[in-house]
Amino acid sequence: MPGITYYDLRHVTGQITHIDIDNGIFESAGTTFFNKAVLRVIKNTGWGILQIDNYQPCTGRKFDELLQKACALSAITQERVCLGDVSRGVLAVPAMKEDPSSVSIEEKSAILSEIEKGAIHPSVVNRRANYIERVEQVEFLDSSGNEYAYEMCRSGFNVLAVASRNGNTQMGYEREHTIHGFNLRHHKDLGKKAADIAVALLDAKLAHGGKMKAILDPELAGVFAHEAVGHASEGDLIQEGNSVLKGKTGQKIGNDMLTIVDDPGIPEFGFDPVDSEGVAVCRTEIIKKGIVNAFLHNRESLAAVGNGVAGHARGMPGEPPLVRMSNTFIEAGDATDHEIFEECKNGIFLKGSRGGQVDPGRGVFQFNAEYGYLVKNGECTGMVRDVSISGDILTTLHNIALCGKNRKMSPGYCGKGGQSVPVSDGAPTILLCNAVVGGNGMD
Amino acid sequence: MEWIDQIIQKGLKSVDEVEIFYVEGRSVSADLKQKKINLASVSEDCGLGIRTIHKGRIGSSSTNDPRHWSECLDAAIASGHLATPLPWEGLPGAQDISQTPLTFDPSMKVEPASALALLEQMLAGSEEHAAEVTAGSAGLSTATITLVNSRGVHYTDNHTGVSLSLEAIHKQSTGSEFDHSSFVDKVNPFHVGERASFFAHESAGGKEIPTGNYEILLSPLAYAELLGSVFIPALNGRNVHAGRSKFAKSLQEPVADPLISMYDDPLLPGASGSVNWDAEGMPTHRIDFIRNGVLEAFAYDLKTAYRYGKTSTASAVRGGYGGAPGIGHHNFIVDGKRSSIADERVVYVHSVVGAHTANPMSGEFSVELSNAFWMEGGEFEEPIRSAMLSGNVFSLHNEIIGISHESRSIGSLILPSVKINKQRIIGK
Repeated sequence: MPGITYYDLRHVTGQITHIDIDNGIFESAGTTFFNKAVLRVIKNTGWGILQIDNYQPCTGRKFDELLQKACALSAITQERVCLGDVSRGVLAVPAMKEDPSSVSIEEKSAILSEIEKGAIHPSVVNRRANYIERVEQVEFLDSSGNEYAYEMCRSGFNVLAVASRNGNTQMGYEREHTIHGFNLRHHKDLGKKAADIAVALLDAKLAHGGKMKAILDPELAGVFAHEAVGHASEGDLIQEGNSVLKGKTGQKIGNDMLTIVDDPGIPEFGFDPVDSEGVAVCRTEIIKKGIVNAFLHNRESLAAVGNGVAGHARGMPGEPPLVRMSNTFIEAGDATDHEIFEECKNGIFLKGSRGGQVDPGRGVFQFNAEYGYLVKNGECTGMVRDVSISGDILTTLHNIALCGKNRKMSPGYCGKGGQSVPVSDGAPTILLCNAVVGGNGMD
Repeated sequence: MEWIDQIIQKGLKSVDEVEIFYVEGRSVSADLKQKKINLASVSEDCGLGIRTIHKGRIGSSSTNDPRHWSECLDAAIASGHLATPLPWEGLPGAQDISQTPLTFDPSMKVEPASALALLEQMLAGSEEHAAEVTAGSAGLSTATITLVNSRGVHYTDNHTGVSLSLEAIHKQSTGSEFDHSSFVDKVNPFHVGERASFFAHESAGGKEIPTGNYEILLSPLAYAELLGSVFIPALNGRNVHAGRSKFAKSLQEPVADPLISMYDDPLLPGASGSVNWDAEGMPTHRIDFIRNGVLEAFAYDLKTAYRYGKTSTASAVRGGYGGAPGIGHHNFIVDGKRSSIADERVVYVHSVVGAHTANPMSGEFSVELSNAFWMEGGEFEEPIRSAMLSGNVFSLHNEIIGISHESRSIGSLILPSVKINKQRIIGK
């Protein structure tokens, strides 16, 4: 079609199976279906985008009509969008150990129910377990003749236990999500673990706010990397001027042993065989030995900003892709747990994550632990609850004093621009000095 | 849409009752990258949700391909086989409910040109202060919602919406603002642009604040962030009966300062959550959750009401066509005796970072402040650079010492600014 610089179409169909058990009651269980596509066109200036529910693949005149509609939208844009040169290639989707579709929903319900019952405890007033299984068939084509198709399944479960005593209500929450197939089996212990944490938190104290040394477990340290560095390295934010990392390439913002990576190609929960613009995925070292090294890009931000590679564009079905993280982690170091606790001496050990948030332009982030322990003379002592940490992107990374030897990844979801995508975050255990800890505890 | 009748007829061969929720809509939006339009989009949406009830077992499924309704119906019926039965007393029959849409603006043109005009006005507003625009968006939408059930309900509602947002930065200080309404002349794009650049510009050069206890003034936005993720779910009847609400044993007890009342008013003219009937076809009405600080009611849909021997408060909502309806609210309002609350020196908090990490059971939170200022005589004085606010969403309601004259819509919440006694701020 004359005048079109570029177009691509990403069509995703699929189904979602869920089970929701609430205090032994099967509230709902079943399957829903979806069919969504997004067509993006550049004609001279910026993006014209059609988001189509219930898309029926078409060619010839029908497809040209869709292109024309998108062209009319592109025509009203003002910014001239250029697309960077990229590598092509599609990774194989890792084989599943047990395909969830081969297990009946009745069996899934029965196993989930066992996990939920694992949380039964005299002090637990509510148990809730959810299973979710999402199968997506993805098809992509663009005006340069690139085409790919793949199918992928993500599945997993959450179990929540709520304990209550004398008006004090606390919760324990465990989750496992994966791309490696059916994962409900052999997890009855996680219901019990959620209950044990909820009950233990009834006796935990509120943390005191202030500056202190903090040891972060791999899950929380992963969220720290995601909030403190990952978002601010997203090329679209750099392009907009809404990140403190803009113009900081080559600057040292952390210690020599600190390397932070995003890699959509490793077989973790944020895995993509190819990105949403049909670009090959690869590892990006955002921070290398403490120095700002590269940004995460889509084709547009790569052309506008440079420094990094594309392959980090991700979109929900039917939504235009944005620059997103996938599997983000701090590389392992060489400290033993013993050394980390010895070096901490007195401080706080924080475990698990209730999420976090960042204002990348201002360079301020916050994230929250599920629970923790006060550290006295290098030993864990009393349990504390409701602890947040906040920090400043350009200074806090210098305060990572030690990185442990074993990195572990944890699955989750990340929101941006109204879209939620599966990610994983990870790290070894780390020691953070001068951590600004928020807590409501009083003497 | 004769296929809707076909679904009902086919479904009734297998189950006691069938309910169909169908939505069709169109939306347009245009996005700025800095001050230039980078992207314009049109979205054509449709979705079908089917719910079946048989011997007290509820099944549901959904699809956005209505031609495959038969597969969706089968999936709904199959899903019902797994559900725990409850003493179901039936879907509502047709009632004499007004079918006049409450959130439809016939003058709204859901066209790219309307979005462009809104962006231009936001950019004009942003010129009022020295700050760089980083991103912005304007969107307009229209949708038709149809609810049909096998007891004779066949309601339709039309809805329109407009939403705006702008983000700005000045040095290393960010500001953002947004607005939304069902009526295009009720949003103020110039003001959105002006406020975004105001907060970016005025927050630069902030000073530290020492750790201590302070009187704070939460803007409607900051208040909404804390209220929405913790306090409002505790009024949800399902959470109450399942043991997930701090208010489970607090009915008829004081849970907030006597100054405070909270209610859902689904029939409020001009409000964006207004509806004549809820997502299950029940006629809506006002629910007084908290009156003068005393907890008086919880929210129920039909399923939770039947299960626990209560009455539906017509609080069923759907997040979209997918899945089954759940308990929510329509226009959640915090009200009470209004006063001038910014006369004396107070820490003003425009928004917070990390409100969603609050403990939803206990209410404890510690969040980073955004666009915080010392305020006196109603004026923004020096900005506060960076600090954390720690507290408890439930107990801070006992410390509210004043609410502002003006309220603001934040999504489906309509909130004043609130002044709160002695809250913990952790400086850096």
